[in-house]
Amino acid sequence: MVTMVTAGDHIDPVTQEIVEGKLAATVDEMGIVMAKTSMSPVIYEVLDFACGLLTSEGELVAQMNGITLFTGTFGTQVKALIRRFAGDIADGDVLLTNDPYAGGTHACDFAVVKPIFADGAIVAYAINVAHYLDVGGSVPGSLAPNATSVFQEGLRLAGVKIVRGDVLSSELTHIIRENVRLPDIAIGDLTAQIATVRVAARRMLELSGKYGAATVKAAFATLIAASERQSRAAIAALPDGTYFATDIIDGDGVTKYPIEVQVAVTIEGDSITADFTGCPGAVAGPINCSRGALQSACRTVIKALVGPQAPSNEGWFRPLEVIAPTGTIFTAEKPSPTGWYYEGSVHASELVWKALAPLMPSRFSAGSYSSLCVAYVSGMDSRGQPFIHIEPQHGGWGASEERDGANALIALTDGDTYNYSIEIIEARFPLLVRRYGFNTEGGSGAGKRRGGFGVIREYEILSDDASAYCSLGRTETAPWGMAGGSAGTVNLLQVVSSEGAESRDYGREAHIPLRRGDVLRVITGGGGGWGDPREREAHLIEQDIDNGFLTEATASEAYGHRRRIAG
Amino acid sequence: MIRLATDVGGTFTDLVGYDERSGELFTAKSLTTVDDQSRGVLDAIAMSEARDGLRTRDVTFFAHGGTTVINAITERKGVRTALVTTAGFRDVLEIGRGNRPDLYNLQFHSPEPFVPRHLRFEVRERVDASGNVRIPIELGDLQPIVRQCREQGVKAVAVLFLHSYANPQHERLCAEALAKALPDTTVCASHDVSRQWREYERSNTVVLNAYVQPIIRRYFERLEEELRRRDLTCPYYAMQSNGGISTFDQATQSPLTLVESGPAGGIAGAARIGSALGESEVLSLDVGGTTAKCSLIHDSRPTLNAEYRLEHTRIQPGHAVQVPVVDIVEIGSGGGSIAWIDERGALRVGPESAGSTPGPACYGRDGTKPTLSDAILTVGIFDPANFAGGTMALDKGKAAKAIATVAKPLGMSVEDAALAIIEIAHANMINALKLVTVQRGHDPRDAAFVISGGAGPALAARLGRDLSVKATVVPPHPGIFSAWGMLAAEPRADFRSTWFSPLAVETIAEIVRRFSALEEEAIAYFGKGRDAEVQFTYLVEARYRGQEHGVFAAFGTDDESESFAARFHAAHEKAYSFRLPGAPIEITTLHLEALLKGPVIALPNLPASGRSMAVARTGSRAVYFGAGEGWVVCPVLDRNLLPPGATLAGPVIVEEPTATTLVLSDQVMEMTENGILVIRETKWAD
Repeated sequence: MVTMVTAGDHIDPVTQEIVEGKLAATVDEMGIVMAKTSMSPVIYEVLDFACGLLTSEGELVAQMNGITLFTGTFGTQVKALIRRFAGDIADGDVLLTNDPYAGGTHACDFAVVKPIFADGAIVAYAINVAHYLDVGGSVPGSLAPNATSVFQEGLRLAGVKIVRGDVLSSELTHIIRENVRLPDIAIGDLTAQIATVRVAARRMLELSGKYGAATVKAAFATLIAASERQSRAAIAALPDGTYFATDIIDGDGVTKYPIEVQVAVTIEGDSITADFTGCPGAVAGPINCSRGALQSACRTVIKALVGPQAPSNEGWFRPLEVIAPTGTIFTAEKPSPTGWYYEGSVHASELVWKALAPLMPSRFSAGSYSSLCVAYVSGMDSRGQPFIHIEPQHGGWGASEERDGANALIALTDGDTYNYSIEIIEARFPLLVRRYGFNTEGGSGAGKRRGGFGVIREYEILSDDASAYCSLGRTETAPWGMAGGSAGTVNLLQVVSSEGAESRDYGREAHIPLRRGDVLRVITGGGGGWGDPREREAHLIEQDIDNGFLTEATASEAYGHRRRIAG
Repeated sequence: MIRLATDVGGTFTDLVGYDERSGELFTAKSLTTVDDQSRGVLDAIAMSEARDGLRTRDVTFFAHGGTTVINAITERKGVRTALVTTAGFRDVLEIGRGNRPDLYNLQFHSPEPFVPRHLRFEVRERVDASGNVRIPIELGDLQPIVRQCREQGVKAVAVLFLHSYANPQHERLCAEALAKALPDTTVCASHDVSRQWREYERSNTVVLNAYVQPIIRRYFERLEEELRRRDLTCPYYAMQSNGGISTFDQATQSPLTLVESGPAGGIAGAARIGSALGESEVLSLDVGGTTAKCSLIHDSRPTLNAEYRLEHTRIQPGHAVQVPVVDIVEIGSGGGSIAWIDERGALRVGPESAGSTPGPACYGRDGTKPTLSDAILTVGIFDPANFAGGTMALDKGKAAKAIATVAKPLGMSVEDAALAIIEIAHANMINALKLVTVQRGHDPRDAAFVISGGAGPALAARLGRDLSVKATVVPPHPGIFSAWGMLAAEPRADFRSTWFSPLAVETIAEIVRRFSALEEEAIAYFGKGRDAEVQFTYLVEARYRGQEHGVFAAFGTDDESESFAARFHAAHEKAYSFRLPGAPIEITTLHLEALLKGPVIALPNLPASGRSMAVARTGSRAVYFGAGEGWVVCPVLDRNLLPPGATLAGPVIVEEPTATTLVLSDQVMEMTENGILVIRETKWAD
């Protein structure tokens, strides 16, 4: 769909710049209010939420710097709501949806949308999508790694009016309270979300009050059109052709079988097509993603290609077409489970990335640890109160042509996502962290530029009633190397019994019973290397040995290095 | 009886002296000496001696602000530093928070830590979140560490153990052992610098403190020695980032508190101006060469930033540190900010700046790019012949030529393009000013707006109008306002400690007990005995149970749990627009602000003699107000000749050596009895 900018929409460059500045300030303000007032660690620490502004047609005009998972979902979600409430949207309404199949992601992500009215007509929509700690379903936290149906993944409110005439719906909040495990937290987060879209409405009204709604809308159209031009120019500079990539997803949570996936990326003039035809049908387990999440996955990598630092809006993505038959692992339909959708969608991103990397080494790196390596630990604390601790882990990224890969960064699917403070975890949960450091034992991909290192994080369980579940990808298939660099290393979750006698390894696991004194160890992999390891400079190898990243033995094995005897 | 302040900036070192007997003020400006900033300070003092007859032995108070600390950090010129930490956690400093704010950059890296991995050492010990010792410290582990530190030429060692905010015993034992074993090495323990939780942020804080401490110690020692040699012997104070001052010795102990020393001086000055006008709410804006910095003074006290980060940008996580720093929002719009056309054909201003070399095109020093200053000159606000007190001629032709480079592609006239540049810088500043007011729940209509910096007063009246502030204020000496503000600062110390407890009736007694313990620390810190007049302010950070981030609310020693809860609910609503009346409240941090009261700079009434409207009137100049109004001839007056109590209706231009103020039509400007310019609207547009 292309919106034409007509001659009548011409807007002076000064007003344009001022409107754009205000858009950026508004989405940032929404983000600050959300992070500071939320009750869920997944939101305030992990920042698993995003805020944005859209045109009255549901085209993205501004988005806060949050995580990449929501790069493409806002537009499809808002358009689905516009269709659902066609002609029945009034000033003072706030809409809510968590439907994975209507542009969304998984049931845990609640999207709150406020239509913003100026002079009796909608001038923009504000949206806030946030991951709720628990939305009911078969397990605490709502993400059973072995779910086989969306009906095991909690409450779905697929397009409702949570606020009508500025009044919060007591019926709906009652339904939410009765269907989730931590109702106070859910209602606290809903309150915070509604506060952010109201803030956005105030700011947009300041803008339309000053410049008029027509000017503001024209500025939106100009911004989107300008970004589209920049995006097309970047794509046109790349050689035409079709580029292929394949990869393997390590199990779906129900079975451990390898799942082969593929893409064909075609560049033709100033357009780009990602064709996922040939990928398998939706799998039994919840690592499927829906079409909205697939869009996001592809858009993330297109943004990395055409304009990584520029503020995001719909225009950047207009040159992109995503082709995939309905009902595949990347285009799942109801009732396929999608709880762990990002474990699937990250592979769609990486396929496009892997296909494009050789074309533009200045923007890409070799494969990374990919999976967020999320584990849930829940149970009862010493006061007899229930707790749920959810934590993604940081890991090693791939090397690039010029530089070693980054150590311990959050996976592609997230973004401005913090690790969890150990001191805060220990003050809050019956857990003791015994180690948090680089996974030097596991290593990383060797190369002229080597991959970055993952982490090892160890928890001792201080509760008599606790269990865990997890879904880690890349436990078998290591991150790819580039241009002769070696593959990286794999992710793993281990549980060592309190006696220390027994150690078990896990990847995607629905239930891990834990006893007091057991140690749960999350190990994340190192990224892939870039270039021939034999070309690595001796002083860099020695620096790695001094810093304990390499042992003399691994240096000799991977790089053929022999340390000079000091003399 | 002279009070003297020196502020070392990027280009110039400013000096302001105040004679307490005569009420007279004198100023001097020398070039900043980058390799050793103390030389520039001494140069400025020498200038004042020669020109204003300053007698150094009359100086009774000396305050100093500078960039030594922040430069050492940003230029990575601190000393070789090691870190000793809890076994299992030596990589915490390097991992940081692992976030990628540059979301779509597939080659992103976290910032380099200030201690490389081979200088990060582990000691077996463990304290839990309640402060209980789980594993006693193995001091024997220090032997190989000490050896390595000697071999590697380490000059400073930082010590961080987990949960030391709850129990500092292990850190203390370790620091003592290290100090004994490494007598020539600086040793800093984290609990001495910060008693807040979050291990990465506290690690970074103690590491950076250690990294700069030997440098700042040497710097202060040298400066003291030189001042004494010049017979300037009095208490020496350093401007801290919290808006207060500390003695050189205190500052040497925690040098990181000097990180935003310069800007904090301006904020202390804005607070002083507010009190002179009887305004407790002050919005301050300082427009420098490269950036504009704004900050809010609430209840006559500068607001502190709870999450200060060095080198933080939209796409860089920066280095979080836990020291009290005034809450400053800084944007890349200053007098030297360059206007440019981006790839989409849109006009942008900053963040790139022409700085002082080459400087704006109108300086005639080979600058060719159009800057905000060029635009201000082009529309007629600056006088090309009488800039900087006539010491520097501006070249209007060069400014116009530079602006033409953006005017042409935009299809605009040069003066319209100049106005567009001002308009965009203006909008950027408004966004920043709203961020510290409206977006944090403060109403600018309640605030006096104090604007300083070379280019600030030229933009003041419009900014004030758009924000609907109570009054727009141009303080005396707006071009060297940070140094002036240092004479308004009082000795101040902040004590913050993480303490976690639900709010209940019985909690209040414990809060009061903990605050009185902190008061004892403050009294000991100032070292002036119990009779000294110390003003305490109590702040308690609290949150709704389940939230992570807290909100600070004022606490009174006569508070009951309900009265404090009511204040917390209000503070939460003010900050975030909602409250949760039924939700349980948790206390997370206690913060004591301690101010040692003493004399600060007075604002004596101006003498009327030699001043009158007639002598102040120096001429007139046409200013361009856009296509509608066109060029309007405005009278020009000399601020230093305006009589006290004078009022002027806009449009009018008021000039002084360090700045030019433009007053708009429908505004009236008053010169107060004590020499402050106050601009108010004569009729409210809406």
